[in-house]
Amino acid sequence: MSPKQLISRRDLLWKLGGGGVGLGLAQLLAAEGQTPRTHFPAKAKHLILISLPGGLSHIDSFDYKPELARHHGKETQGANTITPFFGKRGTLMRSPWTFRPYGQSGKMISDLFPNFAQRADDLTFIHSMVSRSNAHGPAIFQMSTGFIFQGFPSVGAWISYGLGSENENLPSFVVLPDARGLPPCGAANWGNGFLPAAHQGVVFGGEKQPVADLHPPSSISQEQQAASYDLLTQINHSHLQSHPGEDALVARIKAYELAARMQLTAPEVTNLAGESEKTKQMYGLDQPASRAFGYNCLLARRLVERGVRCVQLFNGGHFGSPRVNWDAHEDLVANHSKNAETFDKPVAGLLADLKQRGLLAETLVVITTEFGRLPISEGLGEGGRDHNPEGYTSILAGAGLKAGFSYGSTDELGYKAVSPTTVYDFHATILHLMGIDHTRLTFYHNGLQRRLTDVHGHVISAVLA
Amino acid sequence: MRPSGLVIFLVCAPAWPSQEIVQLFSSHCAPCHNQQTKLSELNVESRQGLLQGGRRGPAIVVGRHQESRLYQWVAEGKMPPGKRLNEADVRRIAAWIDAGAPWPAASSHPTANQTWWAFQPPVKPSGGSIDFFIEAKLRQHGLALNPPADHRTLIRRLCFDLTGLPPEPSDYALTYEQAVDRYLASPRYGERWARHWLDVVRFGETDGGEHNHERLQAWPYRDWVIQSLNADLPYDQFVREQIAGDVLSPEDPKRVAATGFLVAGPWDSVSAVLNKDATLKLQARMDELDDMVTTVSHSFLALTVNCARCHDHKFDPIPTRDYYRMTAFFTGVGFGEREVGSEEERQKLEQQLKPLREELAQRKRDLATLEDPPRARILAARYAAFDQQRASAPRRIPLNPVWNRNAFPATKSQRFRLVVLGHVGERARLSYLELLPAGHRVTNWTAQRLASADQPEILEIELGQAVEVNEIRWASDPEFARREGSISIYRFEVFEPGSGWRLLCSSLDHVGAQELDLPAVEDSELESALDGPAQEKRRQLMASIQALEKQLEVAPSSKIFAAKPREPEKSYVLERGNVTRRGEEVGPATLSAIPLPSPNLEGASAGLRRLALANWIADPRNPLTARVIVNRVWHWHFGNGIVNTPSDFGVNGERPSHPELLDWLAVSFMENGWSLKWLHRQIVLSKTYRQSSTFQAKAHAIDAGNRLLWRMPLKRMDAETLRDSILWASGNLNLRMGGPSFQLQKKGTRGSYIYKALDVDGPEVWRRTVYRFVVRGGERLMIDSFDCPDPSVATPQRAFSNTPVQALTLLNNEFVVRQASYFAQRLLAEAGLEGVIERAYQILFGRQPTAEELARDRRFLENQPLALYCRVLFNSNEFVYVP
Repeated sequence: MSPKQLISRRDLLWKLGGGGVGLGLAQLLAAEGQTPRTHFPAKAKHLILISLPGGLSHIDSFDYKPELARHHGKETQGANTITPFFGKRGTLMRSPWTFRPYGQSGKMISDLFPNFAQRADDLTFIHSMVSRSNAHGPAIFQMSTGFIFQGFPSVGAWISYGLGSENENLPSFVVLPDARGLPPCGAANWGNGFLPAAHQGVVFGGEKQPVADLHPPSSISQEQQAASYDLLTQINHSHLQSHPGEDALVARIKAYELAARMQLTAPEVTNLAGESEKTKQMYGLDQPASRAFGYNCLLARRLVERGVRCVQLFNGGHFGSPRVNWDAHEDLVANHSKNAETFDKPVAGLLADLKQRGLLAETLVVITTEFGRLPISEGLGEGGRDHNPEGYTSILAGAGLKAGFSYGSTDELGYKAVSPTTVYDFHATILHLMGIDHTRLTFYHNGLQRRLTDVHGHVISAVLA
Repeated sequence: MRPSGLVIFLVCAPAWPSQEIVQLFSSHCAPCHNQQTKLSELNVESRQGLLQGGRRGPAIVVGRHQESRLYQWVAEGKMPPGKRLNEADVRRIAAWIDAGAPWPAASSHPTANQTWWAFQPPVKPSGGSIDFFIEAKLRQHGLALNPPADHRTLIRRLCFDLTGLPPEPSDYALTYEQAVDRYLASPRYGERWARHWLDVVRFGETDGGEHNHERLQAWPYRDWVIQSLNADLPYDQFVREQIAGDVLSPEDPKRVAATGFLVAGPWDSVSAVLNKDATLKLQARMDELDDMVTTVSHSFLALTVNCARCHDHKFDPIPTRDYYRMTAFFTGVGFGEREVGSEEERQKLEQQLKPLREELAQRKRDLATLEDPPRARILAARYAAFDQQRASAPRRIPLNPVWNRNAFPATKSQRFRLVVLGHVGERARLSYLELLPAGHRVTNWTAQRLASADQPEILEIELGQAVEVNEIRWASDPEFARREGSISIYRFEVFEPGSGWRLLCSSLDHVGAQELDLPAVEDSELESALDGPAQEKRRQLMASIQALEKQLEVAPSSKIFAAKPREPEKSYVLERGNVTRRGEEVGPATLSAIPLPSPNLEGASAGLRRLALANWIADPRNPLTARVIVNRVWHWHFGNGIVNTPSDFGVNGERPSHPELLDWLAVSFMENGWSLKWLHRQIVLSKTYRQSSTFQAKAHAIDAGNRLLWRMPLKRMDAETLRDSILWASGNLNLRMGGPSFQLQKKGTRGSYIYKALDVDGPEVWRRTVYRFVVRGGERLMIDSFDCPDPSVATPQRAFSNTPVQALTLLNNEFVVRQASYFAQRLLAEAGLEGVIERAYQILFGRQPTAEELARDRRFLENQPLALYCRVLFNSNEFVYVP
């Protein structure tokens, strides 16, 4: 594609470069008033991406496997002999949770997610996901960037590059890491790779300093900050006089004007004073276990409401001790129960809130992990499950989707996807819903016109409404 | 970087309908029905193959999709097996058959062959100079060079370009030629240009990925680059040492360090080491080799050889076989630290460090003696609590019931014991317990009772003499473990005459212990369990341990993170890049399309093979090597390359804007001993380089991208230059060269691989940014907003973006605010209150303020602090842009 077509006029302000990037004020003005032009009509204007690092067990959550219970305690054999990541092979282990039907669709969901399950009729399940790696790093990279290697642009960066922001006072791609810490592989999950730095995810923190460096240290007063902006503008304008025609210098002056406005806008987003108690409860802010993630979910809604293109949330932190993500090697019950408690109410609340405000009709919500977990226990007689890249579940919700719908499946034990859906397909579908043809959103780097989906990917048309 | 969207290349991505079909067949059908495999005799990789069909007859009937077997089978879902094509694809196939099954003609690809320009030896045009070629081209377009820039501008431009720092105010008194001599001779030159090269080679000091380990000994490679550039090491030798320095001089630590080049990129230790899946392990190894082939061919040859990993290169004449023959050069190289220097030197070094190490060990022992009793008491209370919990959730046991190990600091004694405090199931049995390194074993011990914290089961081990132990391994009989049970909570202790039993390790040490929610013993808990004098002693011990560790961390090491020798494996052509589908075995050979014969490597050792590759690349007859580096240097001076895709001289790369100039530079460069300083001198002394950057509307209308160089481009400082320049202005820049890197991000504790940004100030972090510890995927730093790349992929060209976040960073970041205060102090000290504005302009801009500026800035300073003013100047366009 020609990215120019996909970039709004406002957005140019974010992308304008000196020398290198090459888009100048002339193009900026020529494009004035232009809204983003997508490859085809977009179903969703915004993307909320919720990542569950560590590996959520599909067979204990959304992929109901009655056969697994029947075979509990048996060994796997033949073609299905499993080599787990840590090499400790156990026997088939039934899910410790009870599954119940929910909603009109009667979707079977486990007791891990009693609140989230209530949204079953808003959800589209993809049960046939596969990952290219059984190790967290590459699998997480693949989910975040399409490639199993580090250093490629993230999904949010691609979308920012393609569509820009609707609100010039906020970044187009915002990241909300788990309060328990950055996810595994850290900032590489929202990196811009070889795309310009304008597209890297901007981490939003607490209320006081929502964006790093948003405010000066407390030693500088508001009045001093205003005086600084003022002097800087004068200095830059008189410098510009001796450099007529330099678009890059003009663009940089503009960037400071935007920065000044962002200093006002960003704190307004993170200030929840205007939210009712009822709303806060909906997101689980009243309960200790779900308060932190609930805050992030509520923030996601507020960001999307204000025109931010992509918000990526992480439910789970890095590896190490103590374990604060879904990597249930030792004790599935303890691990998943604890994490589900942080996830359940906030995400249920987010979906309900988006829906009641009419935002779900223009927002795509994606919930995914990097791989599933094995139907066998990790080691004999133990209570954990090891990694399973051969089959897992991802969930979509929102605009342009068949709601209350399940697509694809794993085998009767939940081990292997029957007809695999790749992460490429998954990403192609996300871009499609955002109005982008995944084969035409490209950027030249080191000899290749790079894509999010490499040279693969097919839109999963069966899930589209 | 390339102006996005101005030029569209067709790469692997399909671009026209028939190409889409080829792609479709290639991903869904060709895995079985390709030219080699031809399952059922069918080959879908050519139109002819489809017409001819397979065992059941033709696959397509042109113009009639209903009658085409291929269509029928995919529509019915018979093919591909287990994965039905989606409807859109099926429709696409039908439409394509009906449209006559067009196949992209080979000629519609802009494929290169041996006649490709970059594969022809460069020929030096008779006569000529940089200005000759540039001006000739400008004239053809009715344009001309801008007039020369003024002296002040030139000195600034030159100093930033060559040293990455602003000129000293006194430098403006030099003639231009004197300044060229001074800057090229300055050690700052090597630091500046090393940073450019480190971008190309994706130099990082952590592994990246999930287990993002630190590489504390990777800096010698960075130092080698800086020193080589400062010494003007001939470029052909620069190439040789990076690929095979360890083979050239195995005893020379510097040359060994040069091979840090091969392993400077990310490394997935989890997939390579921890992972138990054999296929994925092989895959991880192929990824290592791929990284080396990619980097060598990108950096030195500007060829995307890596595109041929799964299929023949779609555009360049690089068959898959060539790719795998290239991997064979690197089979003897692995990732990790290696010993350097002679045995004698290593011993000498070890002798030097021995007292430090011993002192550290002693301090640690002292600390343990102090802390262990209270820690044991606190832990015992935790165990008791856990035991109660266990009663209600007996399965929540994190141990491997079959096999376990624990490591701990070496300890010497005659008596040890295993204290079992709990198990899963009714009984537990050990098939063996082994004390390492000596290897004493106890076998077949069974705990008969159900052990508990109150009633432990104890296995005592008494030996004939005292032995040193630093690890235990124990195993249960799996069958027994399954039927009856296994040990879950235990402590392993040593008996020390005089003081009694001391804890060495326990079940809590296992990774999984955290799942029990048993918190580790916190510092504060230990602190409060000790009395005043003991607390004081503990603080002293901890401080001296920290100091000793720091000392050892920066002490000379006999280890370097560089190409690590390993047993070379055999190389095979892998069908479609799949490690489980080995084809023909291949030996090392260079690229067949390049008209320089591959060396004969029959029977050569892995090291000699690598050296042969290095020599082949550094051969003056290699058509690419000199062209590629002169183009890179040109690109870093002018912002555009003559070929503006500096790491791709293949068909998808750009054609040279000035092919004769490129060849003239390449050949002259070789004639002048591959001297980079010679090359810089040619460039910076040219009229082209010395012209002004004034904007010309007429020229802009003809050549908006300034590819013809009708002016010198205005350049925003890159991230490192900006940080260094601020430090320089504030008077704080610490010019200490080389050695271990300073850290702006620090790895988390307790097994976390997240690198937190540190808020640090002081001379150590005031060193030049090239000496920063380069973390992959660390928490955000100020320089990230200025397009400082994460070194996970190579960055031959940096982006220069401009964003509000960047503006906020330069205004509000602690670093900038602090340095602005230091700058203010410096101004006051040097110029007094009256002279601060003039002095600031002199330092930052190399000029006097105009009367207007002086008045304006004075007005500001009447009401505002000087530091605030300094911060504004750091943010000004005049400071951030190099004219």
